[in-house]
Amino acid sequence: MFFFLLKRLLLALPSLWLIATLIFLLSRLLPGTFGAENILKESGDFYSTGTAAARKAAYASFLHKTYQDLPLFYFSIQAAAEAGTPAANLPEQERKLLKKLSWHYGNEEAVAAYVNCIKELRQELHIRDNAGHLANIEKLYTVTEPEALLATVKETVSNMGNTAPSLTSKLQTSAATLVRRQQPYRAFLPAIYWHGTQNQYHQWLTKLLQGNLGNSFRDNRSVFTILKEAIQATILLLLASMLLTTLLALELGIFLQKQSGRRWRRIILPFLFFTDRIPVFLLALLLLLLFASPDYFQLFPVYGLGYYTGAEENLLQRILFMAPYLVLPIICLVFVNLPYLTNQFYRTMADISHTEYIKTAKAKGLAEGTIIRRHILRNALLPIITLLSDFIPALVAGAVVIETVFAIPGMGSLLVQAVQARDYPVMVGIVLVVALAKIISHLVADFFYTLADPRLRLTAS
Amino acid sequence: MKQLLNDIMFLWSAKPIFRVAGLYLVLFLLLVLLLPWLPLPYNPTALHLDQVYQPPFKISLNEPSKPAHWFGTDALGRDVLAYTLYGARTAAFISLPVMLLTTAIGLVLGTCAGYFANTGLKTSRGRLLLFVLCAGIFLYLGLYIPLQVVSLNLNQRIIFESLGMMLLAVSLLWLVGLRVVEQVPLLRSGVAIPLDRLVLWLIETFTSIPKLVFILVLASFMPPSVVLLSAVLVVTYWTGTARLARAEILKIKQLPYIEAASSLGVPTVRLLFYHAVPNLVSPVLVTFIFGLAGLLAFESTLSFLGIGVPADLVSWGRMMAGIRNNTAAWWLVVFPGAFLVLTVLALQVCSYYYLELLKKRKN
Repeated sequence: MFFFLLKRLLLALPSLWLIATLIFLLSRLLPGTFGAENILKESGDFYSTGTAAARKAAYASFLHKTYQDLPLFYFSIQAAAEAGTPAANLPEQERKLLKKLSWHYGNEEAVAAYVNCIKELRQELHIRDNAGHLANIEKLYTVTEPEALLATVKETVSNMGNTAPSLTSKLQTSAATLVRRQQPYRAFLPAIYWHGTQNQYHQWLTKLLQGNLGNSFRDNRSVFTILKEAIQATILLLLASMLLTTLLALELGIFLQKQSGRRWRRIILPFLFFTDRIPVFLLALLLLLLFASPDYFQLFPVYGLGYYTGAEENLLQRILFMAPYLVLPIICLVFVNLPYLTNQFYRTMADISHTEYIKTAKAKGLAEGTIIRRHILRNALLPIITLLSDFIPALVAGAVVIETVFAIPGMGSLLVQAVQARDYPVMVGIVLVVALAKIISHLVADFFYTLADPRLRLTAS
Repeated sequence: MKQLLNDIMFLWSAKPIFRVAGLYLVLFLLLVLLLPWLPLPYNPTALHLDQVYQPPFKISLNEPSKPAHWFGTDALGRDVLAYTLYGARTAAFISLPVMLLTTAIGLVLGTCAGYFANTGLKTSRGRLLLFVLCAGIFLYLGLYIPLQVVSLNLNQRIIFESLGMMLLAVSLLWLVGLRVVEQVPLLRSGVAIPLDRLVLWLIETFTSIPKLVFILVLASFMPPSVVLLSAVLVVTYWTGTARLARAEILKIKQLPYIEAASSLGVPTVRLLFYHAVPNLVSPVLVTFIFGLAGLLAFESTLSFLGIGVPADLVSWGRMMAGIRNNTAAWWLVVFPGAFLVLTVLALQVCSYYYLELLKKRKN
C-alpha cells in the first residue's frame, strides 16, 4: 500500500513540475513587474519619494534581491545582432537606440562607438549649456535608416559649426563607419548563449526544492507564512460545504431512488439538470441582496470573517465565532454544487438498481430502505468516491469567487489580489498548493476505494 | 448532418419546451447581430452623472423630453437596459468563437490520438528530424523576429524579409534534406510517434489545476484584452472535447464498417473525415452546447472579478459587480443576471432534449 501511494506521488511529479515551470517562465518573460510599476513611478506616493536617481538605485537593489537581474534560463537564443543586451542601468532613450541600431546594422561595435559619440557630444553641450544644439542632438536619437542617419549627422555637424570640432568630426567618422560596415543579415541569424547556473530559474528551483517559496513582491513577507494564514479559512469553508453537499446529495439521491420519491423524480431531475450552470457569483450576489442587505432580511453579517478579539481562544471558540460569517458562503457553495452531484449520484444508483442481485434482494422481501442503503449504496460507493475526488476543482473555483464576494481572507481572495498586483511568487505558491491538494485528494480516494471494496485491498497489498 | 437536421425538426415539432428554448436562442442571436442598428435611446457607455442609481420603471415627469431608463441606471448613470443588451453581444462574441475554435482543436487532437494510438503514425527518423528543424526555423524567423520588430518598433521591412527568408529556408531544407535523408540508412528507418500518450499527457497537465485558477494566473501575465483572453480560454478549454472525441473514436474504430473500409483501401484521411468523424457529430454537439453555456457564465465571472478584460468592456459581470458599492441597487444584478440565466437555461434545455433523444435511440 505504501509503495503504491509513493508511486502515485512520483508519477504526479512531472505534471506538477511542468505547470510550475510554465507559470514561472511565463511570469518572468513579460516586462513590467510590481517593482517597476511602483518604484519607478513619477507621481508622488508612498513608493516614489526621493529623487529619480534614488528611485533607480532602489529599483536596482530590488531587482538584485529578487534575482531579477539574472538571465531567465540556462541558455537563451537571440538574434546575433543583439549580442549582449545593453545593460539595464543605461538611460531608457540610449538603450532603445542601441537596440534599434543593433537590429538594423548588426555590428554592435560600430553601433556602440556611434552611440558613445552622441553621448559625449551631448554631455559636452550640457556643460556649455547650449540649448539650441541640444535639440539637434535629440533628433539623432530618432533616426535609424542609413541615408536619413548620414543626412541628419551631416546637418547636425554643419549646424554646430565650430562648437567642439573634435567631437563632431568623431561623430561623422563613426556614423560613416557604422553605415559602411553594416551587417544587416545578422538580425536573421540566431545565436545561443549559455548562462550556467547563475539564472533565475535555477535559483528558484533549488529554493523550491528546499521548501522555500520565496518572498511576496508586495510586502516582502515569506510566501509560506502568507499561505499558512490564508489556508485556514479556505479549508474550513471547503470542508464544511463539501461535507454538507455530499450528505445532502446522497440523501436526495436515496429519496429519489425510493418508490415514494418516484413522483418527484420527474420534477426534480430536470430542475437539477437545468440549474447546473448558474454561475456561483450570481447566486452569491442574490443571497447577499436578500439576507445581508438592510432593505430586506438582514440576518447575517456581510463581509469578512469576524474581528480580532485579542483574547486567547481555542479552535472550537474560533470556529464558533466565525460561524455566522460562514453561513451564507457555505449555503452558496452547497447550492451551486448540489445539482451536479445529486444528478450523478442518482444515476449511479439507478444503474445498480437494475442488476440481478438487487432483484434477488427484492424477491427475498427485504425492506426498501435496507436494499437502498446496504446493497445499492454499498455498490455505488466506488463511482461516488471518484466523483467526489474529481469534485475538488469545482470547489476551488467556487471558493475563489465566494471568497471575493464575501471578502473572506482565504486562498481564493489571496489569489485574486495576487493576480491584480502581479505578485508572482504568491501565485506560484497558490498554484502549487492547489495542484498538491488535487494529488492528495486522489490519494485519499485510493485509500477510500480500498475501504469500500475489499477486493481492491487484496490486490493492492 | 441530415440525421442531425431531422432530429432537430422532430424535437421542434414534438417538444414545445424545446421550441420555446430554440426560439429564444434564435432571437438572442438576432439581437446580438443586429444590436448596433436597433433604435436604443441611450449608448451603453454614455455617462449621465446627473441621474445615478435611478430605480427601474420610473418615468420622470418633470423632464418629458428625456427617454426613460426602463431598467434604471448604475453608479455612473449608465443605462442598464442598453448596457445589458450590449453585454449579451460581448458575451456571445467571446464565447461563440472560443467554443468553435476549442471544438476544432479538441476534435482534431482527440480524433488523431484515438485513431493513431501510440503506433499508428509512422514516419522515418530523417523526416522527423527535418520537421523539428523546420519548426525551429518557423519559431525563430516566423515568430520571434516579427514579435521583436513589433515590440521594439523597428522598420516593418524586417518582418517581410524575415518571413521571406523563412519560406526560402524551409523549402530549401525540405527539398535538399529529403534527398540527403534517403541516402543515410540510419535516418531512413521508421519510428512511431506516440501521439496518444502525448495528447493524454497534455490533457493531464492542463487539467492538473482548476480552470479558473489557471486562467486567472495566465490572465495576470498579459495586458487586459479580449483577444488574448479568448486565446487563453481556447488553450484551457480544448481538453474536454479532445477527451470525448478520443473516447468516441476508440469505440468507433472497433466497428466492422471501419475495418471494411480500411480493407478496401480507403486512404486514412478520407476514412477519418468521411466515415469516422460524422459519427462523432452528435456527442460533440452536446459538449459544444454545454461548453457554450459554461463559457457564457465563465465570461461574466471573469469580468465580475475584473481580471483579464479591459476596463471599458461592456459586460454583464461588470455591471453586476456594481452591486458591491450599493446593495440597495438590486436592478444592477437582477436584469443582467436574469438575461444570463435565461440564456444558459435555454442552452441547457436544448442539449437536454437532444441528449434524451440520443439516449432513447441507443436503447
